Amino acid sequence: MKQDRRIRRMIRRETHSSRSVPSIVAASILLVTFLWLALESVLWLLKEQPLLASPAQLRQWLLDLPANTIPAGMTAAGVGLGILGLLVIGTAVGKGRRPRRALASHRMATVVDDDVIAAAVSSKTRLAAGLAPGQVTTTVGGQSVRVQVRPTSGVPLHLESITTALDAELAAYGLNRPVKRNVRVLNEGAVGQ
Amino acid sequence: MRRTNRAVNRILLTIVGLAILGAGAALIAAGTLPGASDTWWAIGSNLTDQARSLAGNAPGPGPVRSWWLAAGIAVLLLAAALSAAWLASQGGGRTPRLAEESDGTHGRTVVDVGLISAAVHEALKGNKDVLSASVSAWESRSGTALRLRMQARKGTSPRELADTAEELVQGIDAWLGHPLPVLVRITSGARSRVSGSRRAR
Repeated sequence: MKQDRRIRRMIRRETHSSRSVPSIVAASILLVTFLWLALESVLWLLKEQPLLASPAQLRQWLLDLPANTIPAGMTAAGVGLGILGLLVIGTAVGKGRRPRRALASHRMATVVDDDVIAAAVSSKTRLAAGLAPGQVTTTVGGQSVRVQVRPTSGVPLHLESITTALDAELAAYGLNRPVKRNVRVLNEGAVGQ
Repeated sequence: MRRTNRAVNRILLTIVGLAILGAGAALIAAGTLPGASDTWWAIGSNLTDQARSLAGNAPGPGPVRSWWLAAGIAVLLLAAALSAAWLASQGGGRTPRLAEESDGTHGRTVVDVGLISAAVHEALKGNKDVLSASVSAWESRSGTALRLRMQARKGTSPRELADTAEELVQGIDAWLGHPLPVLVRITSGARSRVSGSRRAR
């Protein structure tokens, strides 16, 4: 049981983003800003020349901001900041899923990239239908596996055999998030394969 | 992976986001509402007046002028230190040694990751489905864990690769004598992070 929990935790951490990149960016900006403000304050207390702007200048600039800027500019800047804030909150609160999935496994946590699954499904479909490379395209995303098959002109396609092969393959993976299989056969055939 | 505290990241990012959103809302209000610029000025000068009178309350020696100003600078420095701590908390936990056992007076035995790495490379040498493999270890909450990364050849079934990895891990278990937590990552070659869905021919 304890082993299970540990594996689940590893899978969870590997398939979800740690949000370290936005955190690093935000922390760096905050660090520089606070250090700069502290430095300016000290310079102001010692009556030295300010680096960029003294606290008094900063205060005056902030107070005069609505009077000196046209209202439309203020609103536009506010909308920009608002969107940025929503994006930051979104990354913080959202699921933060990465394009990876876990495979069923007893001993260890196994996490596979979605494009590895897509490539494997494509090649399996190709083998099952006897098609050439490039005639099958697979998209793995969210909760679906979409397979797009382009049949060879004049050669009938056994959809049945494709779907059974696909189902067997996906069942063998035992993915932690169930996926819906969706096979689409294009009307246009490939010539001369 | 690593030892990043993810809950802290989420909470702090939410706070930062709310602060940015609040500033944006204030700017929008100042831009659209009539008389808002007067209110802005009134609130701002009121605050600075209060700060000024507060600063006059506790005069300090020499250039410091007021203890409140010194406290303000201390608060700024503290905030900077907290930001630095947040920055430093990202990642970390990687370790070159996988297992360690002290044998009382006889000494210590340390198993290096390099040993397992060499063994894994040797075992995967003839395997055409694995383009490259790498082994690393990191300190997790429940002891040292092993991470095995395999780059799959295009079109290889991840199930087969997982079975290969399982065999390898069983071998490592038999070697080390006690099972380690293991994470196996099966990746594709191109590390593209463009969109949410993955396509392949």
